Amino acid sequence: MPSRRRTLLKVIILGDSGVGKTSLMNQYVNKKFSNQYKATIGADFLTKEVQFEDRLFTLQIWDTAGQERFQSLGVAFYRGADCCVLVYDVNSMKSFENLNNWREEFLIQASPSDPENFPFVLIGNKVDVDGGNSRVVSEKKAKAWCASKGNIPYFETSAKEGTNVEEAFQCIAKNALKSGEEEELYLPDTIDVGTSNQQRSTGCEC
Amino acid sequence: MIADGAEDEEKWLAAGAAAFKQNAFYMQRAIDSNNLKDALKYSAQMLSELRTSKLSPPKYYDLYMRAFDELRKLEIFFMEETRRGCSVIELYELVQHAGNILPRLYLLCTAGSVYIKTKEAPSKEILKDLVEMCRGIQHPLRGLFLRSYLAQISRDKLPDIGSEYEGDADTVTDAVEFVLLNFTEMNKLWVRMQHQGPAREKERREKERGELRDLVGKNLHVLSQLEGVDLDMYRDTVLPRVLEQIVNCRDEIAQYYLIDCIIQVFPDEYHLQTLDVLLGACPQLQPSVDIMTVLSRLMERLSNYAALNAEVLPYFLQVEAFSKLNNAIGKVIEAQEDMPILSAVTLYSSLLKFTLHVHPDRLDYADQVLGSCVKQLSGKGKIDDTRATKELVSLLSAPLEKYNDVVTALKLTNYPLVVEYLDTETKRIMATVIIRSIMKNNTLITTAEKVEALFELIKGLINDLDEPQGLEVDEDDFEEEQNSVARLIHMLYNDDPEEMFKIVSILKKHFLTGGPKRLKFTIPPLVVSTLKLIRRLPVEGDNPFGKEASVTATKIFQFLNQIIEALPNVPSPDLAFRLYLQCAEAANKCDEEPIAYEFFTQAYILYEEEISDSKAQVTALQLIIGTLQRMHVFGVENRDTLTHKATGYSAKLLKKPDQCRAVYACSHLFWLEDRETIQDGERVLLCLKRALKIANSAQQMANKARGSTGSVTLFIEILNKYLYFYQKGVPQITVESVESLIKLIKNEESMASDPSAESFFASTLQFMEFEKQKEGAIGERYQEIKV
Repeated sequence: MPSRRRTLLKVIILGDSGVGKTSLMNQYVNKKFSNQYKATIGADFLTKEVQFEDRLFTLQIWDTAGQERFQSLGVAFYRGADCCVLVYDVNSMKSFENLNNWREEFLIQASPSDPENFPFVLIGNKVDVDGGNSRVVSEKKAKAWCASKGNIPYFETSAKEGTNVEEAFQCIAKNALKSGEEEELYLPDTIDVGTSNQQRSTGCEC
Repeated sequence: MIADGAEDEEKWLAAGAAAFKQNAFYMQRAIDSNNLKDALKYSAQMLSELRTSKLSPPKYYDLYMRAFDELRKLEIFFMEETRRGCSVIELYELVQHAGNILPRLYLLCTAGSVYIKTKEAPSKEILKDLVEMCRGIQHPLRGLFLRSYLAQISRDKLPDIGSEYEGDADTVTDAVEFVLLNFTEMNKLWVRMQHQGPAREKERREKERGELRDLVGKNLHVLSQLEGVDLDMYRDTVLPRVLEQIVNCRDEIAQYYLIDCIIQVFPDEYHLQTLDVLLGACPQLQPSVDIMTVLSRLMERLSNYAALNAEVLPYFLQVEAFSKLNNAIGKVIEAQEDMPILSAVTLYSSLLKFTLHVHPDRLDYADQVLGSCVKQLSGKGKIDDTRATKELVSLLSAPLEKYNDVVTALKLTNYPLVVEYLDTETKRIMATVIIRSIMKNNTLITTAEKVEALFELIKGLINDLDEPQGLEVDEDDFEEEQNSVARLIHMLYNDDPEEMFKIVSILKKHFLTGGPKRLKFTIPPLVVSTLKLIRRLPVEGDNPFGKEASVTATKIFQFLNQIIEALPNVPSPDLAFRLYLQCAEAANKCDEEPIAYEFFTQAYILYEEEISDSKAQVTALQLIIGTLQRMHVFGVENRDTLTHKATGYSAKLLKKPDQCRAVYACSHLFWLEDRETIQDGERVLLCLKRALKIANSAQQMANKARGSTGSVTLFIEILNKYLYFYQKGVPQITVESVESLIKLIKNEESMASDPSAESFFASTLQFMEFEKQKEGAIGERYQEIKV
C-alpha cells in the first residue's frame, strides 16, 4: 500500500492590488493574458498538472484579492499552503515596500510549523512596461530584500509577454514540494470498533 | 454576553473540527484502501459538521476550508475510481444515497466535477443539474457556502470559449447562464438573511452579511474572467441581468456592494461603452445607498484608465463620458435633497479629477464642475465638516497638480468662488498650497490682472481684517506662511517697467491694508523688487522719439518712501532704517540728489527717534557710515551736513570704545581715493586725533577700574587707520605721528597682560615689515618709518 501520497501542492499568491497576480496565474495555467484590469474578489484558484522527477502533481494556485475590501471572509484558505508567492510591480515602489506586510501577515495567519524555513518565492512583475524605463525597483534592491529574508528565490517576469513565468512556477512547485509542511497528523483518540473492521490503527500509516 | 458568545463559538468550532478530523481520518483510510463505500460514508459524516448553525461566517469558513481540502482528496479518488472502471454515472447516483441533504449536495458537486472531467455528458447539463439541486438548501449561510463550493469546483469546467469543455452543444452562453443563475440564487439567500431573526439582532446580521458578501461577489469575478464575455456579451446579457437582480432585490447592502463589484471586476472599456446603462441604474437604487462613493470609484477608475492609456481618449469623447457623468451626478444630487456636503464635494472632486485627466484641454468642463460645486455649496455658509473641508482642498488642488501652472487655474472663474466657502484656516492652507505650486514650478505671474486674481485666492495669507477675534495663529506657522508670501513676491514679474509698476502697486495696496503684523515680512521683498525695477528703467534721453515714460525713477522713489513709511508704526524701525539707506543708495545710482538726501534724512530721523538700544545704535551707525561713504551724488553742502551729523552721532555713543571706533570709521568719509573732491586730509587727521583722545580717556577709566584691559587694542586699531591713510599718501598723516603712536603702544604696560592685543600689535608690525619689502612708492614710504 502506498504511503500517503502528496500529489496536491497548494500555492498562495499575495501582493498589492494591480501588481498582476491574476495575470501571472492566467498566463501560467491558461497561457492567456489580458491588458484589462479586473479586480479579484475573495480567493480563487486554478489547478495545473506539473511533472516533477517523474511524478505528476496537481498545483493548486490560489489567487487572492489585493484590495482589502474584497477579502471580507478572512484568510482561512491560507491553511495548508506549501508555498507562498509574493508579487510586486517593479514599476511601483509602494507595492515593493508592502511585501514585508504581506509576508508577515501570511506567517501570522497561516502559522506554518517552521516559519523560518517556510518557502516563499518573490516575483517582480511587469518588467515589460515602457521597455523597463518606468522601473523604480532595481533588481539589486529586490535581491537584497530576498537575501535578508533567508534567500528567497527571485524571478523577474512579464505576465504579458510570458517572460520567465514558466521558470518561476517551476521553482514554486519545486519549493512547495520540498516544503516541510506535513499535513496535520491526526490520530483518533477512540477507535470505533463497531464501524471499523479494518486493522487496528497503530498510529502509523505505513 | 458577547465574550461568552465568542468563547462558545470557539468551543463549537473546536468540537466541529475534532469530529471533522476524525471522519476525515477514516475517509482517508478508506481511500487508501480503495474502499468507495466507506469513503462515501465517512465523507458524508465529515460533511455533516457543516450543518451547524452555531458558527459565525469566518468560523464557518474555517470549517468549510477544511472540508474543501478533504474533498479534493476525495475528488482525486473518484477520478481514480472511474479510471479503474467505476462508471461515473453510477458514482453520481451513488453519492446521492447520503442521508442528509447538505453532505449529499457537497458530494454531488464533487462527483459532478469528476463527471464533467470525464466528458461523458455535456458540461452544461451537469452544471444545470447541480445549480438546480442546490436549491435544496435554503438556509442562507449554508446555502451560500454550498453554492460557493459549486462555483469553485465548476470554475475551470465552464464551457467558455477556448475551454476544453466547449462543444457544439455547450457554449459560453451556457457558462454565463450557469454563473448568472448561481449568482441570482446566492444573492437571494444573502438578501433574505436581512429579514430573518429578531429585529434587535439587526446589527449582528448586517455584520455577518458584510462578511459573506465576497461569496456573492465572487460570481461576478468568475464572469469577468470568462474569455467569452466580450463587450457584446457583457452589454447584451451580463450587465442587464446583473443589474436587474441588483435593482430588484431592493436591498441597500447588496446594491451598494454589488455595484462596486461590477465597477471593479469588469474592464474599463466595458464601463465606457455601457456608461448609460450603469448610470441609469443608479437612480433606481434604494435612496439610502451611498451612490456618491460608488460613482466616485467609477470616475476614479476611468480617470486612471485615461491617464495611463492616452490612446483611449477618443473613446471618452465619442461616448460623451463627461456629460453623461455630469448629468448622472446632477440627477443623483437632485434626488437626494439632504445629501451630506461631504458626499457632494467628494463627487465633484472625482468628477473634476476625471475631466482634468480625460479632457485636459477643456478648461470649460473643469469650470463647469466648479460652478456646479458652488451651486451646491451656496446657502450652506462656511463648511465646518473637517472631512468635507479636506476634500474641498483636494478638489481645489487638482487643477494645480494637473497643470502645474497656477496661471491656468486663474482662468477658472468659479475657482475663487469655491475658495470662498473655506473657513479662514483652510483658506490659509489652500493659499499655501497655491504658493507652493508656484514656487515648485517656477511659474512667473506676469500681469497686474493675474496678480490681482492670485491675491484674491491667497488673501487668507495677505489680510487679517475679516479674521474673527481671538483666533490664535501659531507664531511659527504664521512666520512660515509670511515667508512664503515673501518668496512669492519675486515670482510676480514683468520686464516692462509700466506693467511691473502696476504689479508692485497692487502689492502695496494689498500689503498696506492687510494688517500690520505682516509688514515686516512683506515690505522688504517688495522694496527689493521695486529697487530692481528702478535699475531696469531706461536711461533718460535714450528714447528720443517722445513717448513720455509714465514710470519715472522719481515716481518709484516716492512709492518706496510710502511703503517704508508704514514700517516704523509696526513697529519695525530698524527694518525701515535699513530700507531707507538702501533706497538712498539706489537714488545715488540714479543721480537723484534730493531724493537720496530725503532718504538719508528719514534714516537719520529714525536713528535719532526710534533706535535707542546702544548695541543697535552701533550697528546702525556702521551702516550709516558705510552707506554715506559710497554716496557720490551729494554736493558739498549736503554732504557736509550728513557727515557732520554722522560724526556727531559717533561721539555720542554710550560706551567709550564704541565712540572711539565709530569716530575713526568716520575718517573714511573724508578721503575717497577715486574722488578728488572728497580728499580732506585735515578732517581725516581730526577724526583720528579725536579717536586717540577717546581711547586715552577710555584707558584712564579702565585704569581706575583696575584690571580691566582692552583699551590698548583701540590704540592698535587707530594705528592701523594711520597706516592706511599714510599709505594712501594723505599729507597730514606724517611719519612722526605714526612713529610716536607706535612708541606709545610699546610703552603701554597693560599689553603684557593682554595676549590678543600683543599678537595684534605683532602682526601689525609684521605687516609694516612686509610692506617695506615692496618695490616702488609704498615700500619707500614704509622704509621712512623707524620702529
